[in-house]
Amino acid sequence: MSKGKRVGSTLPKRDANVIFNRRATLLSFVGGGVIGSIMFRMGQLQATNLFSGEYSEAADENRFDTRIVAPPRGVIYDRFGTVLAQTSKDYQVAVVQDDVDDLEDVVDRVRRILGLSAEWARRAIIRVRGGSRYEPQPLQEGLTWEEFNAINVRLPELRGIVAQSVDVRAYPYDVVYAHPIGYVQKPTQRDIDRALENPEEGQSRAVYLRNPHVRVGKAGLEAEMEPMLHGEAGWRKVIVNARGVEQGEDERERRDPVRGSGLVLTLDHDLQRIAMQNFGEQSGAAVVMDIYTGDLLVMASAPGFDPNEFVNGIGREPFRLLNEDEKKPLFNKAVTGVYAPGSTFKMMVGIAAKQAGIEDDWAVGCSGGFYYGGRTFHCWRAGGHGRMDLHDAIKNSCDVYFYQAALRAGPERIASVARQFGLGQHFEVNVPNIRDGLVPDPTWWRANRGEEWTGGLTVNYGIGQGAMGVTPLQLAVMAARLGNNGYAVQPRLVREGPGIVDPGQPLHMSGIEADHLARVRDGMFGVCNEPGGTAVRAGALELVRHPETGAAVPLTPETRAWQPVQIAGKTGTAQVRALGSNRGRHYSTIEWRFRDNALFCCFGPWHEPRYACAVVVEHGGAGSAVAGPIAKEIMKATLLRDPARRAPARLATLEQQMGRSA
Amino acid sequence: MTIASQQGPQTILDRFAKLNWGVINILVILALIGVAMHFSVSSGAWTDMPLTHGLRFALLISVVLIAAVFSKVQNFWMELAYPLYGGALLLLIAVEVAGATRMGATRWLDIGPISLQPSELMKVAIVLALARYYHQLDPRRAGTVLWVIPPFLMIAAPVALVMHQPDLGTALMILFAGVTVMFLGGLLWRIIAAGAIVAVGGAIFAYTNILHDYQRDRVNVFLGITDDPLGAGYHVLQSKIAIGSAGLFGRGYLQGSQAQLDFLPEKHTDFIFTMIVEEFGLVGGGIVLGLFGALLWLTMQVAMNARSLFSKLTAAGVAATLACYVFINTAMVIGLVPVVGIPLPIISFGGTAMTTLLAGYAVVLSIDLHKERF
Repeated sequence: MSKGKRVGSTLPKRDANVIFNRRATLLSFVGGGVIGSIMFRMGQLQATNLFSGEYSEAADENRFDTRIVAPPRGVIYDRFGTVLAQTSKDYQVAVVQDDVDDLEDVVDRVRRILGLSAEWARRAIIRVRGGSRYEPQPLQEGLTWEEFNAINVRLPELRGIVAQSVDVRAYPYDVVYAHPIGYVQKPTQRDIDRALENPEEGQSRAVYLRNPHVRVGKAGLEAEMEPMLHGEAGWRKVIVNARGVEQGEDERERRDPVRGSGLVLTLDHDLQRIAMQNFGEQSGAAVVMDIYTGDLLVMASAPGFDPNEFVNGIGREPFRLLNEDEKKPLFNKAVTGVYAPGSTFKMMVGIAAKQAGIEDDWAVGCSGGFYYGGRTFHCWRAGGHGRMDLHDAIKNSCDVYFYQAALRAGPERIASVARQFGLGQHFEVNVPNIRDGLVPDPTWWRANRGEEWTGGLTVNYGIGQGAMGVTPLQLAVMAARLGNNGYAVQPRLVREGPGIVDPGQPLHMSGIEADHLARVRDGMFGVCNEPGGTAVRAGALELVRHPETGAAVPLTPETRAWQPVQIAGKTGTAQVRALGSNRGRHYSTIEWRFRDNALFCCFGPWHEPRYACAVVVEHGGAGSAVAGPIAKEIMKATLLRDPARRAPARLATLEQQMGRSA
Repeated sequence: MTIASQQGPQTILDRFAKLNWGVINILVILALIGVAMHFSVSSGAWTDMPLTHGLRFALLISVVLIAAVFSKVQNFWMELAYPLYGGALLLLIAVEVAGATRMGATRWLDIGPISLQPSELMKVAIVLALARYYHQLDPRRAGTVLWVIPPFLMIAAPVALVMHQPDLGTALMILFAGVTVMFLGGLLWRIIAAGAIVAVGGAIFAYTNILHDYQRDRVNVFLGITDDPLGAGYHVLQSKIAIGSAGLFGRGYLQGSQAQLDFLPEKHTDFIFTMIVEEFGLVGGGIVLGLFGALLWLTMQVAMNARSLFSKLTAAGVAATLACYVFINTAMVIGLVPVVGIPLPIISFGGTAMTTLLAGYAVVLSIDLHKERF
């Protein structure tokens, strides 16, 4: 198209250059206006910020993150200062996936440095892939110092690998204190939900509990003394990037955590270990108590488990095995196990009968059975014991005597004496799941069973059978109160710690006459030391006392002339199943869980009692054959060691030492 | 007026010396600012973004200077205008038929090892083609409805093709550059008014029928219809936080927490202006905007001073393209317009926008060299 010539002359004349220049100028002004409004808007944003600070705050909120620092947990000591639970450094090798080029290659190199299997590497990679990309994921925990160093020097060639030390709760004697001390674990969703129920501090507490390094007590003293042991959390104000990865720290805003308070227990490490060892494969509990202070020197429950496995989360399968084991390793049987006391209850019946007025020379002829209310109640000895007074009846554990003694005393009196001696009573010893057992009486029977108490129940009461149940701890308290001549000593597990007060001198129990006690104690002495006693084997401690110091020493040809160290006790064999169904059958032919429970309780040394001990072996058979020997070993060790006469450790001193070494 | 001046500079050195060094200097300063910002983006490392950016600019500006010195306007750029436009349009059609799809959009043509983005070529071609059209059209006809149809189709075809890729940002830029050239070419005001009405209607139609969901989300967030700080609004929110908290002189070089800690997304491309403001404050942002303003003003001066309408319209069209880049990008990062993926030219990382714009400036510098003759 050529321009100009053929254009109609009717159209108005226009000069393109003039139009262009005019309009270009106009557009330039528009452009200047746009630049101006962009500048204005930027200024406006900053002016807003100047007055409200909203953008600066938002930038800081983006940039700063408060990281909680879990406090070191309080140390738990035995009475002489042995460390039973502590916070120690765990050396770990971990990997940050985001920094890794080839995960399999780098894990394989770590594997070769540590000399681990290909299977380990395979599992580690699966575990790591399931975790966070930006936070260190542990590959292997519990490295030795040498292994830790071997990793450290090769870090430059291991991109994405970090060698870190982390605080972990450690239980150096694992299985020995699994029950009294328990363990810590990561807080569960239930812990967090429970924390949220508190309207004031719930929210911040829940945030704290979600922190990956926080552990809380889940069993034993660790759970019950959680507030004292835990300590105060500290925090660090860190600079993070958009993915939450730490880039630096504002050190001025740092607050160091405060270590939790320590605890000194009443337990004696040596005795506790010996007690656990003596159970072997058997299931049961043992308690040793100082009969004046109430200090629990032993609180053992068998079988045990390794609490260290729980700290970083126990696997599903190992937990299932523990949880479904018929020997119930996860239960603290010393306070949670409730058993019929069997013949160990006969001292209570004896004292009650004395209170009811039986004469010293009141005796019963035992022919192996007692006919009452239309049926025959058998004595454990089918041939009978012949003529029995209180002393001989305890010594021989004659059932027929106590059937009749119970009828003389009446159930109310028996129950009242039993409760005075601690049976069916609650003792707060700072561990969870303490059960109170049951000492029934006609009132209870009417209220709970809906029927009248019968004489037959009283007869059965006489030998510690029926609805009643006691814990090994209560049995030890009973033995202690017999041993200290009727003082209401209270057991305790924690000697020193926040909120723990000294119990003071125990009071004498009202209505318990010295004469009645002496009769029963004599019987118990007979059990262990007189010919024909049911536990003479358990009583044969083979200890003598040093004529000058009074200390117990082993019996040797040189020390033969010295006075023997003796104990007084009582066996018990309590039926688990209904009377008679197992009669006449050999134990090995009865299914384990239907076999009788074996019990033994005692105090000593006889010449100057100081310690009481109770042992229960679940489904062990006869008390004299199974529980007695265990109690003998524990008592022997206790008397030789005589912990009550040694100076206990002081918490303040121990904490000071800990502070110096930390 | 001497013969020499009427014929333009004669020797190569003479022409080199007479290049518009104001324009060139501003381009170099902007590129250096880009290198400095990429050094900050890389948290203080030279490799590979700052170096790549610097080398890429050095290479391109060399080509631009050589092209400017050796090219003629009337006998080269104007002759090239229609073939270039036709070629670009064919390539856009080829993209539609056999384009490479990346990140959900079909914008590229893979020819052996070379990856070509024809929509970028079109940004320059549309300006040259329309400038030639109006240059050869009688100014009295420029005002009539009939002669509006060809340029309208010349703009509509590539815009439709690019919208379909989909690439909203580039389509808008082609539209804006084309309309600016038409306006400066002498479009009657009443046609402009009618066009504006059609444009508003078209925008509403585009919003409801043509835009993709992610594009509509961005518009919704911008209009305040939806509030979604972690979705489409997250980018702008983080950008506003960075700019709002910067203060007059900024947080300091390498110290912008929003950018350095990755809260600011796309900081090396679309949101680099935010990073400049965060680290150098209102003053730093103002200087960068001022440099772009100065570049626009110098480019408009070239247009005003050129003799032919083709030269005037081409230079103004390149200025319009530059303005479009700068205004949309900066308005976007402060939340004045919805998020569309348009970089800040010469400063943002990436070769596409830089190549397109510098190609435009090769023509502008050539026009400036020959302004007295054509």
